[in-house]
Amino acid sequence: MRKEENFNDVEKLVDEALIAEPGFLLSDSFADLVAQKVSRKFAWQQYLHEFLIYLGVFVGAGVVWAAMSFIFFGADWHVWLDFAVSNAAIILGINIIVVFVLFADRVLLRYFLFRAETGNGLSKY
Amino acid sequence: MNDAELVEQIIAGNNNAFRYLVAKYQRLVAHVVGRIVGRKDEVEDICQEVFIKVFRKAKRFRGESRLSTWIATIAYNTAISHVRKKVRRGEQSYDDNPLLIGKETDGGATHKVIEKEEAKKFLLAAIEELPVNYRAVLTLFHLEEFSYKEIEEITGMPEGTVKSYLSRARKLLKAKLEKVVKSEKTNIFVDYA
Repeated sequence: MRKEENFNDVEKLVDEALIAEPGFLLSDSFADLVAQKVSRKFAWQQYLHEFLIYLGVFVGAGVVWAAMSFIFFGADWHVWLDFAVSNAAIILGINIIVVFVLFADRVLLRYFLFRAETGNGLSKY
Repeated sequence: MNDAELVEQIIAGNNNAFRYLVAKYQRLVAHVVGRIVGRKDEVEDICQEVFIKVFRKAKRFRGESRLSTWIATIAYNTAISHVRKKVRRGEQSYDDNPLLIGKETDGGATHKVIEKEEAKKFLLAAIEELPVNYRAVLTLFHLEEFSYKEIEEITGMPEGTVKSYLSRARKLLKAKLEKVVKSEKTNIFVDYA
């Protein structure tokens, strides 16, 4: 009888221990910190996405303009190629600057402004 | 707001919806991660990683299971891969996670049990000493009240294995407690109601 009682008590204790809070506590501001970090990630992705759309539009417009020049206005691609080869450095430089300005304006500037607005509460991470 | 609506809001970039999700499920994630990793100082960082994954993978949630099951799956996988990484880097030995080499430890026999509360503390400590997969299924089943089917979905273990781990973990805990009770030569259950 006594043995059976002890057995039940052990069972009961094990049951209680299994549903007891294990003590892995997160900080009170955990949800805010994670939400803030994720909002920054989301903003970055959003800005980068917009930048890629702008870039796509510019490149697309250039391609359409070039195609129209060849198809409707009979442009000579040899002349274009010679021009591109002889001015490769300038063309490349201008393109890099344009892309960088667009990236800085559409992504970097907006992202840092967003960071400044949302504070630096995540410095820990 | 149901699970599907909550996830839709998160995908749309509603930060308050995400904050709500974190607040709602942080206890679950902390329990799963904590029990697997077993180190309090690392729990918060890993939990943060889990929720960032939840955000990144939100589009993949199809509502076929409960949101809590889906989040627990991410938490379980993240914690397990963290433990494996540490073992690979040699920062954690296999002895810290006995199931990785299929060995069970009995490190709790030296604990002294005097009263009921201490017995419970002893059992909590004994749970932390169980193999990692035992701890995981015990936490998911008893603490978070997931069904066998859901635990199978979360951990990828067959239902039979889950049941077997639960039963063996329970037996191990009981054996450890009984061993200590016997070694104390006292009856800690006299006034236990």
